[in-house]
Amino acid sequence: MTSLQTFALLSPEIVLVAAALVAFLGGAFAGIRHGWLVALIGILAALSLVGGQPGDGATVTSGGIRIDAFSTFVRWAVLGTGALLALVQSGDIFASAVSRGPGLHRGGTCEEAGTFLVMLAGLSLVGVAGDLVLLFIGLELVSIPTYVLLALKRTDARGQEAALKYFFLSLIASAVFLYGAATLYGIAGTTSLQGIATAIQSPAPVSSGMATVLLPVALGMTVVGAAFRLAAVPMHFYAPDVYEGTSPGNAAVLSTLPKLAGVVMLGRLLALGISAESETAGVGPAAVAHLDLFWQLTAVLAAVTMTVGNVMALWQNNLRRLLACSSIAHAGYLLVGIAVAAAAAATQAGQPLGDVAASDGRWTLALGGMTATLFYLATYMLPTAGIFGAIAYLGHRWPEWTATSGPRPPREEITSVGDLDGLASTNPVAAFAIALFVLSLAGIPPLPGFWGKLTLTVSALEVDWTSPVALGSRRTWFLSLAVILVLNAAIAAAYYLRIIAAMYFKSTKRGVQADGGLAGGLAMLACVALVILITIQPRSLLAAATRAGKTLTSPVPLATADLDTIPRP
Amino acid sequence: MLELDPTTLLVLVPALPLAGALLTVLLGRRLGSGAHWPAVVSIAAAAVAAVTLLVGLAGDVSEKASRVQPAPPVEMITTLWQWATVADAYAPAAGSPAAAGEDLAARSAGLPAALPFSIGIDLRLDPLTATMLAVITCVGLLVAIYSIGYMHDDPGYPRFFALVAAFVFSMAMLVAASNFLLVYVFWEAVGACSYLLIGFWFQRPTAAAAAKKAFLVNRVGDFGLAVAVFLLWMTYGTLNFHDTTLADGSLMPGILGAERLGAAAGIVGGTVGTAICLLLLLAACGKSAQLPLHVWLPDAMEGPTPASALIHAATMVTAGVYLVARCAPLYVACPAALTTVSIVGATTALVAALIGTVQNDLKRVLAYSTISQLGYMFASLGTGTLLGFTAAIFHLVTHAFFKALLFLGAGSVMHSMGGVIDMRRFGGLRRIMPITAATFLIGSLALAGVAPFAGFFSKDEILAALHSRGWTHHAAEHHDAEVHEGHAGGELPSVPEARPAIYRTESGPLIQFASAGDGEPEAETSAGTFRLLYWMSLFTAALTAFYTFRAVFMTFTGPTRVPEEAGHHAHESPRVMTIPLVILAVAATVSGWLLFSTEALSRFLAATPSLAAPAVAATATPHAFHLDLAIQGTLAAAVGILIAAIGYLGRSSDGPQPERFLGPLEGLFANRFYLDELYTALIVRPLEFFGLLAAGFDRYVIDGLVNLVACVPLAIGAVVRRLQSGLLQRYAVAGVMGTLLVVLALAWQLRG
Repeated sequence: MTSLQTFALLSPEIVLVAAALVAFLGGAFAGIRHGWLVALIGILAALSLVGGQPGDGATVTSGGIRIDAFSTFVRWAVLGTGALLALVQSGDIFASAVSRGPGLHRGGTCEEAGTFLVMLAGLSLVGVAGDLVLLFIGLELVSIPTYVLLALKRTDARGQEAALKYFFLSLIASAVFLYGAATLYGIAGTTSLQGIATAIQSPAPVSSGMATVLLPVALGMTVVGAAFRLAAVPMHFYAPDVYEGTSPGNAAVLSTLPKLAGVVMLGRLLALGISAESETAGVGPAAVAHLDLFWQLTAVLAAVTMTVGNVMALWQNNLRRLLACSSIAHAGYLLVGIAVAAAAAATQAGQPLGDVAASDGRWTLALGGMTATLFYLATYMLPTAGIFGAIAYLGHRWPEWTATSGPRPPREEITSVGDLDGLASTNPVAAFAIALFVLSLAGIPPLPGFWGKLTLTVSALEVDWTSPVALGSRRTWFLSLAVILVLNAAIAAAYYLRIIAAMYFKSTKRGVQADGGLAGGLAMLACVALVILITIQPRSLLAAATRAGKTLTSPVPLATADLDTIPRP
Repeated sequence: MLELDPTTLLVLVPALPLAGALLTVLLGRRLGSGAHWPAVVSIAAAAVAAVTLLVGLAGDVSEKASRVQPAPPVEMITTLWQWATVADAYAPAAGSPAAAGEDLAARSAGLPAALPFSIGIDLRLDPLTATMLAVITCVGLLVAIYSIGYMHDDPGYPRFFALVAAFVFSMAMLVAASNFLLVYVFWEAVGACSYLLIGFWFQRPTAAAAAKKAFLVNRVGDFGLAVAVFLLWMTYGTLNFHDTTLADGSLMPGILGAERLGAAAGIVGGTVGTAICLLLLLAACGKSAQLPLHVWLPDAMEGPTPASALIHAATMVTAGVYLVARCAPLYVACPAALTTVSIVGATTALVAALIGTVQNDLKRVLAYSTISQLGYMFASLGTGTLLGFTAAIFHLVTHAFFKALLFLGAGSVMHSMGGVIDMRRFGGLRRIMPITAATFLIGSLALAGVAPFAGFFSKDEILAALHSRGWTHHAAEHHDAEVHEGHAGGELPSVPEARPAIYRTESGPLIQFASAGDGEPEAETSAGTFRLLYWMSLFTAALTAFYTFRAVFMTFTGPTRVPEEAGHHAHESPRVMTIPLVILAVAATVSGWLLFSTEALSRFLAATPSLAAPAVAATATPHAFHLDLAIQGTLAAAVGILIAAIGYLGRSSDGPQPERFLGPLEGLFANRFYLDELYTALIVRPLEFFGLLAAGFDRYVIDGLVNLVACVPLAIGAVVRRLQSGLLQRYAVAGVMGTLLVVLALAWQLRG
C-alpha cells in the first residue's frame, strides 16, 4: 500500500475536512452565508466517494485503516444521517436568524456547518480505524466539535450549562476510555487492533497475570467509555440535561451520531476476542474470558440501561428530556445485540478446532446479534432524526393570549409534550410524521422499529436455543434479557403514545407557528419516506447490516447469496 | 403509440387506478370540482389497457384453437417482487397431500425436503382474469363518468373518487392475484372500500349502521377464507396458483398450476378437500351476498347509487363467483361441495326474488335482484360442468352491464326526484326522463330474460347447465339432436372417429363424480336434486320478470307524479349521466347475442388453466342453442311480465297495492323472511350480552390488575429520577463510581 492509496481510501474524510475548511474560511473571509449548503454538498460528495470504495466482502487494510463491509456500513450511516442532520441543523439556524426575540440564540451559520463537518469526518474515521490511536483521535474529533456546537449557543444560559456539562462528562469518559486503551496497549505492546487481538488470543494460560488483572480493567474502562457515547448506564446522566438545554438540531446530533461511535467501539472491542484467521479458529483462554466477560457485562448494562431510560421517561413532560430518556432506553436495546454477539462468539471460541460442520451453524448465531444491533441502530436513528427535524421545523407556538390581555407576548419555543396539543388539526403533515416516528420508536408493526426489535429479540432467543432452560444457564440469561426487552417496549409505549394522544386527541387554542424553516421539514419528510421504505422493504437494510455484522465478527468471508432469506430460529 | 408488452399492461391495469386514487387523495382539495380527473383518466387508461389485454389474449387463444379442439390453457405470471420469504417453512410429511398422487409425486421428486413459505406479488393473466379485468375497468369507467354528474356538489366529492379508484385497484388486484394470500389481502381491501363507500354519508346513522353491518357480515365470510387459506397451506405447502421454480431449480407445483392439474390425483378431495371448498364457499357467500350471509347487501344501498352500481351490483359482489370459478378444479374433486354450491345458489335466487316482489324502494328491488342473479351464477357453478362455469361467468359479464345500467337508471331517477326512491311516491316518469326510461326498460328486458337481450342468453345457458345435470341421458341425446339441428352448416366433422375426446359426453359428467362402486345411486340423488333446482330456477325466472316489470310500471307508467322533494326541477339527468346509460344499454342489448352466437366467451374461458384442467374439461358439451329450454324460459318471463302488467301497468303507484292478494305471505316477504330478526335474536343479542359481561370483567378485573402493574415502573421511575439532580459533580461521581463497580465486578467474575 502506497501512501497515495491510503489517501484514496480516506478520501471521504478528506473531502469532509476540505468542505469544513471551505465553510470556515468562506464564512470568515469570502462572506459565504450558506454554510449548510457547503456542508450538504460536502456530505454528498463524500457519500459518492464511499460508493466507489471497496466495501462488499473485500477487506483492505492500510496502516491504521481498515475498510470492510462493516466500516462501509458505518460510513453510509454516518453520512446518510449526517445529510439529514445537516438539514435539521440548518432549519434551526434559519429560525433563529429570522426571529430575533429575547432568549433566542443567534446562529453562526458557517462555523456550525464547518464544525459539524469535522465531526462527521471524525465519526467516519472511527468507522475505519484499525488502530487504538486512530480510534481515539476519531473519537476526539467527534467530541471537540460537539463541545463547540453546544457552546455556540452562547446567548442562552441553559445552552451554556448544557455545553459545560457535556464538556466535563465527556472529558471524564474520554479519560476512562483512554485508560482502558492504555491498558490494552499494556497487554499487547501494540496499538494495532489486529496486534491486540493476536495477543489476547495467544494460547498462553490465563494465570499469567495479564488476564486476571489487566483484562477486567481494560475491558471495563473501554466499555464504560463507549457507554458514554451510547448514553448507557453508568454514563447516561448527561443526556436529559444536555438535550433539554440545547437546540433541537444539536439534540438530534447528540442522540444519533455518538451512538454510532459507541456501537463501533463496542464492535471493535468485541472482535478482539474473535480469531481473524479461519485456519486457526481456536483462541486462547484469555480470549474466551474476554468474550465471556464481555457478554455478561453488556447484558447487565443492557437490562439496566433500558429499564432506567424507560421508567425515567415515564415522568417526563419536557419533550426533549423525554426523547433523551428514550434515547437512553434505546442504547439499552442496542447493547442486547452486542451481548448476543459476544455470547455466540464465546461459544465458538470454546469449540474444538476444525469442527467446521458444528461451527457453521453457530457462526450464523454469532452474527445475529451484531446484525440486529446495526439494523436496530439504523431503524432508531432515522425516526429520531425525523422527530427532531419536525420539532425544529415546528419551531415556536403562540402563547396564550387574548386581545384584551395586553400586548401579545413573544412566541415560545416548543418544549413540552403539551405544546404539541392538537397538532393534528393545526399541522396534519407534521403530526402524521411525528406519529409515524413515535410509533416506529415504540416498535409497532410493521414499522422499522418493529423489525429492529424483532431481530434483536430473535437474536437473543437464539442463544443456546438447543440447550434446556436451567437456572443460571446462559440461555436463561438471554431469555430473561429478551423478556426484559419486550416488557420495556411495553413500558415505552406508554410515553410514546402520550405524544400521539396529545397531537390527535387534544385540542388547543395556541397554534403552532411552523417557523423553523423548510429544511427541518424537508429532513422530516425525507425521514418519513425512508421509514416507509424500510417498512415495505426491510430486507435491503437487513442485508446490508448482515454483511456488516458478519464482516466484523466472522473470520470467513461469507457468501452473500443466502442473505435473501431470513433465517428461522 | 408506445409499444407495450402484456406484462407492462397487466401491471398498469391495477397500478393506474392506484395512482389515480393517491393523486386524488393528495390533490383532492386543490382540484375542487375537478377532483374527478385523476380517477376518471386513470380508470380510463386502465380500461384501455385491460381491453387491449383481453383482445390480444383472445386473439392468441383463437389462433391456437381449432374449431373442434379448444385452445391449450394459457397463463402468464408476472412476479413484481418477493413480498415475504421464510426458508424451510413447510416440511411435507410422507404421504402428505402436498405430494399426493403418484403421478405428481414422481414429477416433484426433485423437491427439497422442506419448502419455503414464499409469497410474491404475483400477477397473472389468463382468460378468466382478462375477462374480469375488462368488465371491472369498463364498468368502473362508466360509473366514474356518471358520478361526475351524480356526485357534483357533494362535500365529499374528492373522497368519493379516491375511493372508487382505490376500489378499482383492489378489485383488479383481486382478480389478477396469483396466490391465495394476495387474494385474501385484496378480498379484504375491496371489503374495506365497500365499507367506506356504503358509509360514505357517515353523518346518516342508517348509512353508518349499514356500513357496519356489511363489514361485520363480511367478516364471517372472510373468516372462512382465512381458514381456507390456512388449510390450503397445510394441505399443499404452497399458496401459489401457478407453478414456481425454487432456488435450487426444482419445480414446485402450485395449487392450480399445470403440474398439479395435469396429475392424476393432484387435487385433494375427501374431507379436507370438501372442508376447503365449503370454507371458500362461505367466503364467497359473504362477498357475493348468498344465503345465509345475504343480509348486508340490501342495506348497502345506503351508499351513493354509483357505488351501489359499481360495487354492490356489477363487480365486487361477483368476487365470490370468480373465486369459485377460479377454484373449479378443487370443487370438481369434491362433489358434495359442488352440490352445496348449487343448492345455496338456487335457494338464494328464489328467496331473494320472492322478497323482491314486495319491495317498494326501487334500489332495494334491484338489490334483491342482484342477490337473486348472483344465486343463479352459483347454481350454475355448482353443476361442476364446463358449461356451468362458463355460463356463470357469461351471466356475470352480462349482469354487470345490465345491472349497472339499472342501478345507474335508478340513480338517475333518484337524482331527479330529489333523493326520493320510494316507488309509491312517483310515477309516470317516462314523460319527464325519456332517456332514463328507455334505457331502464332495456335493462329490465335484459334482466327479465327476454330475447334478444343479454340476460336471455346467459340465463338460458345457466338453465341448460342445470338441466344437463338433472336429465343426464336425456341431455346427452338432446345435445346431439340440437347440435345437428342448430348447426346444420356442417360445422361438425362428419366422420365419427374424428370427433375429439371432449365431445364424448354420453358418459356425462356424473361418471366423474360417481368414482367408486356405489356411485350410481349418488348420481341419481344428485340428478333429482338438480331437477328440483332447475324448476326452482325456472320459477325464479318468472318472479324476476314480475318484480322487474313491477318496478318499471310503477316508476315510469301511469299518471305523472313527482314528490315535493324534487321541487320544480324534476328533469332528465345531465349528459354526463345519460351517456353512460346509453352505452350500457347498448352493451345490455348486444353483448348476450354477440358472445353467445360467436361462442367467443366460452371458448376463450375454456383456455383458463383452472377450467382447462382435465377434470373440468372432460365435462365439456357441444355448444348449442337449447330451443326447449329457451321456450320454457321465455314463457316464464312472459308470465311474469303479464302478471306485472295486469297488476301495475297504468295504475297510479300510490293506490292500494295489488300484492295484497298474497295475504300473510306478503308480510313474510316484506319482512325478508324475518331473517334479520332471526339473526338479531340468535346471534346479535347473545353476543351483545356476552360482550357486556366481558367488558365488565375487563373494566373491573383486568384493568385493575393492569393499573396495579403499571404503578411499578412509575414507582421505579420516581426513584431513578431523583438521581437526575442536575448537579454536574454528582453525575461525575456517579459515572466514576459506576466505572469502578464495573471493573471490580469483572475482576470478581474472572476470579470466580
